[in-house]
Amino acid sequence: MSENILKELCTKVLSLFKQTESKEENAKEVACNRLRVVLMQDRTNLTPELLQRMRRELVELLSKYVEMDKDALELNFDQEGDQMALMLSIPVIRAKDEAEIEEALKEESEENDETDTEETSEEVGVNEEEDEASEEGTDETETEENDENVQEDEE
Amino acid sequence: MTGRVIVITSGKGGVGKTTTNANIGTALARAGNKVVMIDTDLGLRNLDLLLGLENRIVYTIVDVVEERCKLKQALVKDKKNPNLCLLAAAQTRDKTAVTEEQLKDICEKLKKDFDYILVDCPAGIEQGFQNAVAGATEAIVVTTPEMSAVRDADRIIGLLEAKEEIKSYKLLLNRVRPNLIKSNDMMSVEDVVEILSADLIGIIPEDTGIITSTNKGEPIVNDEKSLAGLAYRNVAQRIMGEEVPFLNLEEETSVLAKVKKFFSNLIGKEK
Repeated sequence: MSENILKELCTKVLSLFKQTESKEENAKEVACNRLRVVLMQDRTNLTPELLQRMRRELVELLSKYVEMDKDALELNFDQEGDQMALMLSIPVIRAKDEAEIEEALKEESEENDETDTEETSEEVGVNEEEDEASEEGTDETETEENDENVQEDEE
Repeated sequence: MTGRVIVITSGKGGVGKTTTNANIGTALARAGNKVVMIDTDLGLRNLDLLLGLENRIVYTIVDVVEERCKLKQALVKDKKNPNLCLLAAAQTRDKTAVTEEQLKDICEKLKKDFDYILVDCPAGIEQGFQNAVAGATEAIVVTTPEMSAVRDADRIIGLLEAKEEIKSYKLLLNRVRPNLIKSNDMMSVEDVVEILSADLIGIIPEDTGIITSTNKGEPIVNDEKSLAGLAYRNVAQRIMGEEVPFLNLEEETSVLAKVKKFFSNLIGKEK
């Protein structure tokens, strides 16, 4: 009993000195977050590289319509019961006006004529992806892999 | 009689599959059920040790399969409880000595004479796992609040979901340490349940009594004072379809709470 009280006192005093440190994630949160990421990869066959790619392509796609804080974009998988959902959160700085959007679309169609790829439209499908059969790669993943070289060049 | 065949599995080794098996089996038998436990961990058998039956094994599951004895001859009765039997694994053979079909067949035969057939699954997801699962219609996935165990449990759940024969699976969270959870150093029961999104059938606190009970070959459910023993008995009740609330481990483990509880028990207050 007294041991517990002492322990508590100690941590309280210590926390006074280390205000910043107490804000850090505790071991439990770290474990939960790491697990969520790794399980998401296990369940979907989405490697960190593919996720990065997905993120990049989403930014590219959405930048045509809105100006956003690209660095603050958050892309997470959420599990609610049996349903897996892809959560995308993007701080919007401002909406683009018509002329800007038109210009972006024009630019894109020109690009498409050149490279003959239609990846952006395919990628949207991933949003709804609910992958239970982690054994096999999904169609989306496969197409991504095929297009990998193109994307890497752009970077 | 048509018994229920429940496989106890985990993916990762060392999380307490065999301990769980021995304790749930013993608890179910104590409650009046006819129970048989099958150790399918060929080459690495241990269930006999936990039950203190290692010196009584004459025939193993491989002897049954290879027709050196009848199925009934190979069933070893528990020392205390005549309702409880063990079909031991062979120690000298590997996982290929018994096939999925043969295990299925054994389970079918045992169903006629027993209420519960508990299959102790080897670690891993290879043939040993496939064999153990073959005859079962229910599963208990044992895990601990550690990352590697939870990850492996997730994998096992994925494999179980792909099996048509498995009608339901439940999660058993073993070696829970309330003090570490309280200090946010360990994932909580809720965390694990949420991450795996599976139904819970039991929360077993870490208990040093498990070590001594294993050493003695005496399942901890027989120890009325043990908290882990109580938790295992509750799991058995839940398997039998009764609604038993989960233990409030936080309350049980702090010294202060124990003292308080002692006094409230003295006064005779019921919660």
